Amino acid sequence: MSHRAEDTDAPEERLVALAPRVYGFLVRLVGNRDTAEELAQETLVRALRGLATYQPEGKFRAWVFRIATNVARDWLRRRPREPALGLVVDPETPMPATVGREPAPDARLGRSETAAKVEAALVRLSEPDREVLLMRYYGELEFKEIARVTGEPLGTVLARAHRALKKLADLVPEEQG
Amino acid sequence: MNGCPTSEQWVAYAAGELAPRLRRLCAAHLEVCPACRREVESLARGLAALETLPREPALRPEAIARLRGRLRAASAERPARPRVVRLLVRYGWAAAAALLIAAAIFWPSKPIEQPPVAVGNHHAEAIEEIAAAISLLELADNDTGSERLDRAPAGGSADELDLLLELDDAGLLLDYLSSQDRLRG
Repeated sequence: MSHRAEDTDAPEERLVALAPRVYGFLVRLVGNRDTAEELAQETLVRALRGLATYQPEGKFRAWVFRIATNVARDWLRRRPREPALGLVVDPETPMPATVGREPAPDARLGRSETAAKVEAALVRLSEPDREVLLMRYYGELEFKEIARVTGEPLGTVLARAHRALKKLADLVPEEQG
Repeated sequence: MNGCPTSEQWVAYAAGELAPRLRRLCAAHLEVCPACRREVESLARGLAALETLPREPALRPEAIARLRGRLRAASAERPARPRVVRLLVRYGWAAAAALLIAAAIFWPSKPIEQPPVAVGNHHAEAIEEIAAAISLLELADNDTGSERLDRAPAGGSADELDLLLELDDAGLLLDYLSSQDRLRG
C-alpha cells in the first residue's frame, strides 16, 4: 500500500492544501471568483464531513473533485439565467497569482496573453466539455478517473476532451505544441 | 494496427495514458501517417494551451482563514468514534471471522517455552486491537443497530475487508490502523 502526502497529514490540512486547485477548477467552471471561493469552501467542508464514509479507493483528490463537481453542478442548475457566466475575460485584469510557479519574466507577457485567450475559449466550451478539461488540469486526474467522477463512459470523456482540446489548439502557435 | 487509431485513442496517447503496448503501436503508426501526426500535434497544442493557466491560483488570505475556521467547526461536529471501530461495526461478522482465522494461525502452541518474537507481537497487538474494537462493536450493536445499517454505503464491504486482510497478510495492519487513528487526530 502506497502512502501519499495526502494520506498522512491531518485531514483539515490536506483539504486546505487542495483549496487553490479546487478554487482554480471552480472559478473556470462557474466563471465568477466570489462564487468559486464560496463553492470551494462548501466543497472542502463537505469533504471533511464526508470523511467518515470515504472509501480509500483511487485518489483522495479525485474524491474531492467529485464533490467539487457536484457542488458546481448544483450551483449551475440554480444560478440566475443572466449573462453572468461571469468569467468574461478582461485582458487588462492580471491573472491570479500562481503559488510557487511564477513564469520567468521574459515569458510572462506572452504567457498571460495566451492565458487570457484560453480563458475566453474555455468559457465558450459546453459545461460538460469544460468540466472534463478542468478536472484533468486542476485535479491532475487521468481520463479514466474523470469517467468515474462524472459517471460517464470513458469514450464519452475522451470525446469531450478531444472536442475541447481541438478548440484550444488554435490558440497556441504550432511551434509551442 | 489496421487503419488509423480513433480520435479518442489519440487523446489518450497525447495525454500519456495509453497502455504501453497500444502506445507503441500508435507511435509506430505516427511514423507512417502524416494526418495522424497533425492530429496528435494539434491535441498537444491544446494541452499546452491549458498549461498557460495558473494551476494553483492564490486564494485571498482571508478566504483561507475562513476556510480553516469552517473546517475546524466541521471537525468538531464529527463523531468521535474512530474509523477502525466504524469499519468493524459495519463489517463486524467478517472481522470476527478474520479474527478467528488469525488467532488459529498465530496462536502460540508453547507460549511459556518460546520467547516472544517481534513479528508475533506485531500480529498479537493487531489482534488485541481488533478484539477491543469488536467489544465496542458488540456494545454498539445493542445500541444503534438500525443506524448502522442506514449508514453503510453500498458496495464497499468486500473491498474494505480485503484491504484489512491484505494489510494483515503483509504485516501492515497495525501501521494502517495507527495511521487511521492519527488521521482522526
